[in-house]
Amino acid sequence: MTARNIDPVTFEVIQNGLDSLVDEMAITIMRTAYSGIVKDALDYSTALCDRNGRVIAQGLTIIMHLGSFPSIVNSIIRQYEGRIYPGDVFIANDPYESGGIHLPDVFIIKPIFVNGELEAYAGTVAHQADIGGLVSGSNATESVEIYQEGLRIPTLKLYERGEANKTLFAMIKINVRVPEMVLGDMRSQIAANAIGERSYLELSRRYGAELIRNFSDELLDYSERLARQEISELPDGEYEWESYIDADNTPEGPVKICVKLTIKGDEIDVDMTGSTPQVRAGINSPLPFTEAAIYGAIRLIMDPGIPNAAGYQRPIHIHVPEATVVNPVHPAPCAARGITGFRTMDAVMGALAQAVPDRVPADGEGGNTNITVGGYHEDHTAFAFVDLFAGGRGGRPTGDGPDGVPHPAANIACTPVEIAEADHPILIEAYGLIQDTGGPGKFRGSLGHVRQIRNLAGRATLQIRSDKRKFPPYGLHGGGPGSRSQNILNPGPDEVLLRTMVQVEIECGDVLRHEMSSGGGWGDPLERDPALVARDVLDEKVSIPHAAGAYGVVVNPDTLEVDEAETVALRNEIRSQRD
Amino acid sequence: MTPSVNRTYRLGSDIGGTFTDLVLISPDGRYTTRKVSSTVDDYSRGIAEGAVAMLQELQMTGDSIREVVHGTTIATNAILENKGAKTALITTKGFRDVLELRRLRVPELFSLNYTPPPPLVERRLRLEVDERLAADGSVITELDIASVNRAIERIKQGGAEAVAVCLLHSYRNGEHEERIAELVKEALPEVYLSVSIKVLPEIREYERTSTTVVNAYIGPLVNRYIRALGTRLKDVGIGAPIRIMQSNGGVMSAAAAAETPAQIIESGPAAGVVGAHRLAGRLGLQNVITFDMGGTTAKASIIEDGGRSLTTEYEVGAGISLSSRLVKGRGHALKLPVIDISEVGAGGGSIVSVDRGGALKVGPESAGATPGPACYGAGGTDATITDANVTLGYINPGELAGGAVLLHADLARQAIRTSAAEPLGMSEEEAASGVFAIANVTMIRAIKAVSTYRGRDPRDFTMLAFGGSGPVHAAEIARSLSIRQVIIPPAPGVFSAVGLLEADPEYHFVQTFISAAHSIDPAAINRAYRGLRKRASQALEADAIIPDDAEWVRQADLRYSGQAYELTVDVPGVTGDDEHDDLDDRALAEVVSRFHHEHERTYGHMSETDAVDFINLRYSARFATNSPPPHAVANIKGKSSGERRVYFGPETGHITTPIMARSGLSESPLAGPLIIEEYDATTVVPPGTSARLDAAANIIIDIELD
Repeated sequence: MTARNIDPVTFEVIQNGLDSLVDEMAITIMRTAYSGIVKDALDYSTALCDRNGRVIAQGLTIIMHLGSFPSIVNSIIRQYEGRIYPGDVFIANDPYESGGIHLPDVFIIKPIFVNGELEAYAGTVAHQADIGGLVSGSNATESVEIYQEGLRIPTLKLYERGEANKTLFAMIKINVRVPEMVLGDMRSQIAANAIGERSYLELSRRYGAELIRNFSDELLDYSERLARQEISELPDGEYEWESYIDADNTPEGPVKICVKLTIKGDEIDVDMTGSTPQVRAGINSPLPFTEAAIYGAIRLIMDPGIPNAAGYQRPIHIHVPEATVVNPVHPAPCAARGITGFRTMDAVMGALAQAVPDRVPADGEGGNTNITVGGYHEDHTAFAFVDLFAGGRGGRPTGDGPDGVPHPAANIACTPVEIAEADHPILIEAYGLIQDTGGPGKFRGSLGHVRQIRNLAGRATLQIRSDKRKFPPYGLHGGGPGSRSQNILNPGPDEVLLRTMVQVEIECGDVLRHEMSSGGGWGDPLERDPALVARDVLDEKVSIPHAAGAYGVVVNPDTLEVDEAETVALRNEIRSQRD
Repeated sequence: MTPSVNRTYRLGSDIGGTFTDLVLISPDGRYTTRKVSSTVDDYSRGIAEGAVAMLQELQMTGDSIREVVHGTTIATNAILENKGAKTALITTKGFRDVLELRRLRVPELFSLNYTPPPPLVERRLRLEVDERLAADGSVITELDIASVNRAIERIKQGGAEAVAVCLLHSYRNGEHEERIAELVKEALPEVYLSVSIKVLPEIREYERTSTTVVNAYIGPLVNRYIRALGTRLKDVGIGAPIRIMQSNGGVMSAAAAAETPAQIIESGPAAGVVGAHRLAGRLGLQNVITFDMGGTTAKASIIEDGGRSLTTEYEVGAGISLSSRLVKGRGHALKLPVIDISEVGAGGGSIVSVDRGGALKVGPESAGATPGPACYGAGGTDATITDANVTLGYINPGELAGGAVLLHADLARQAIRTSAAEPLGMSEEEAASGVFAIANVTMIRAIKAVSTYRGRDPRDFTMLAFGGSGPVHAAEIARSLSIRQVIIPPAPGVFSAVGLLEADPEYHFVQTFISAAHSIDPAAINRAYRGLRKRASQALEADAIIPDDAEWVRQADLRYSGQAYELTVDVPGVTGDDEHDDLDDRALAEVVSRFHHEHERTYGHMSETDAVDFINLRYSARFATNSPPPHAVANIKGKSSGERRVYFGPETGHITTPIMARSGLSESPLAGPLIIEEYDATTVVPPGTSARLDAAANIIIDIELD
């Protein structure tokens, strides 16, 4: 670090100062936003980029957003260089014009000037409750071209020299179903940028702009050095994996995601050749999103202490063929591309599981389900309840898959039931764990989660983006698979099983029961400690018949204790049947 | 100290995992101190015995004490050590897993190994009842009494000692919760009941459930403890009312603490910060890092621009609170105001070991009060930080706390030898020095969590160090962080107990009152404020406090319609006269206007055309004690002089170091190395630093930085 004349204390203070700055921006959004998906589910990110558009700090939010800040800031630099002024604020969401990731994710970016020099960009991206288009909530799965997915915003100035672009505000307002929410959330993003700018100016007053510039170079080199060190300790070789998306919303499904990792020395090549060509359904994942999934997966097996800066990506080289679901070209729809990003990360993890079996857990719930109930109140104003629903990981080399922990790609929070019901004409009738669903293993996968939602409005649109029915989560090293997801309309004698990705009209009183996949198991379930099985029986996570069938553990129904002799006998019997 | 004037003295007592500290203060601010070993089987015994010994020594009797103020970590420890009551939860059908699923989000973005802490109520005791309220509080499904009785039966079978009740939307309509509480009380009169509308009547089911459950989990323990303490003290003739330090830095009556023990979770650590805040004020210091190292943990907090730092985004049992408030999920949510303190498992009693990889480890396991460090000679064989400090010569190899604890240097060396030196192939001094360095690195994390991790440069702060072990480590830690100055207050080892006596009584009352600002009914809001005022008066009466001395504050929480978080603004005009205090349309418009401006000040924007909602109303009373600043009566014990060989690390080696009492210092600085020994703590002034005394007998250590 001495090469750039930054002493270790200063380095650490600036690094933590920037990390705290982006967190402060994130808190501003959380506290001032209007929509549930932002204020409670926390589907947004904040970042600070240096003047070259390189991410040097990201708030503790969503891994998958990290890849797209550079592409958006680069679109600003490319289109506006020489015409960027103090007081400007930029906005963009389009994947094909601006490097966005799908239309609901609206980026708002503020250039920061110190003594008249452009030094940095404060950036925010928030998943808006609606951006127009085919379906309420704008996460369409049924769209066949991007024009159906809502308002496309190229890289534009929302403010110029502090002056609001009223034309643009008016255009946005009339194109979205819930303008108060969307404009309120955009205001919270603008406020967060201002907070970020204020803290950045304080830091640069204290340490000088040049020192922070040096810091940024040093931080990126430092994170690169750490990453190279980690990669050089991985066993060289080629590792391949395929993962699948049900994609029952299009005749082109199921969708295949192929990954080949080549680890050599301190570098990794990632090749996605063989993945399904882009499809006429909203699940194509724009390249920045795919890249974020790949970088994120590799980062997950490294030391968590590596700074959250783009330098660690330098030794990773990515090749993704054009016009595939993981690198679509115009006009491929991409509103529900989250699922493809999740599956890309899962495929990379599957390949890594061969290289470092002691670090990688079995497959999890597959990333959050999106459920949207949208419609109109009696006074003809619109509502859009967008529920991100997540929470189960696979069994791990060291223990059970935790219940209530979301897919690593999207560290979202659940929307509190009380908030959801206070803000929308819905009733959530159940939210919890489903007995006997966890993938069996020496270390069991998380149980599947259920969410049951009743529509209290009149006619409304129900739209679901889920997965993992045809291809449930895989187990590892002898562990069983996780359970299959279900979408049941009006559970009971007249229930209807809906597709994993679907858009249907529903009436007042209709109920959706969504059962999420559970985590896969890790290791042979016959090696599971019977005491853990008995604990699960006491806690009604595992039933007595399932304890016997899946784990070979016999639990006495009166005492709820393990019958050890019978357990040994049953396990032997199951083993002999296997051979 | 002169013999007692009736009921004028105040007694502060602070319990830690290792020592119990006592401070007796006279009306003019003079105080004497005492440190006794904590009696872990029954903490109140140590307090009572210590108080009796102290009174005898001063030839006073128990009736000279007007008030006992108490700080305790009993509640936090119960959670950290999973030793709370077996607790059951009664909740709405379909939602028993809310407590376990939490808010999903995890504090580690890039970790595959994160595991949330196990819920405080096992799934088998999370029981559902048939009932359902809508978001507006109206009843969708009536409460099914049979389902409540079934739940009660399960609680009986499960043997739960405490029951938490939290139903969906109860903050809008408490009838179902109240009915369940009645039925539980009737069927199980001995269980401790914690009902969400009493503990935290606020929207968001996970946070409300978790806070209510934490309250239940520690309820039986805290109640038994408070009762035992009262009885013990009465038995020795101290009948004065007991007040308990709250996590937010105020004090509350013992009865109120027994009702909502969740408010005293950070009771002990908060007292130290209160004392530090007062001392910083007297010294004119705006920016202070407090560093408090006891027998079990080390804690840090900051005082910035002259103010303490409070948070309501607290989690209990999280171990260390790291960089940001976005980092949630390590502990159990507790949505009550708490002084923002970070804490690590490193104290004098932290155990030293060498792991399988051959690395030297310190803590977080602690030898506690029994057996304590090996050098206490109470049967402990594990080496601890204190043993390392004795081996290095930092701590007097003879005795601690004026002879209350005798130290055996040979046992300390032996423990260091077997636990660290031999496995690592080092000398005892080298191994002890390694322990000292690793302990410092661990404690530096706690300080960074409240400074650099929040973008605060520790070089802009003065360190105020206290706790039994704090002054041993403070100067070296400050040097690592480039902090130039360390202040060691008088009686540093019992500083938190002194802080207890400097806190003001505070009473806070809140009532959820959801209404759109544009259609608010002044009569309704005035009724609500009158109700709060009545509750406040009754509480003061119960605690025998004269309301006339109170400083009343009336506040309201507002937010833009649709937002999730409120801002609190002052509501003008509190005289105590109901008629006069009633709000009219103009006053309400003023409140809304204050909200807009507060939003602008906090977040940089406001929108006067957007709809605003009232969410909560607040009523608080504070009592400024106005007592004179405390000053220590010179303690005759622990006066030391002479010199001994002290090891200051492999580079410096052994130095023959002068040993002196605090009174041996003066206003002109003395260059280190020096060791200052006093009754309750030892201060190490290493080479490269100097020490002097200010007019209030604080030791000021100035550090030469490279």
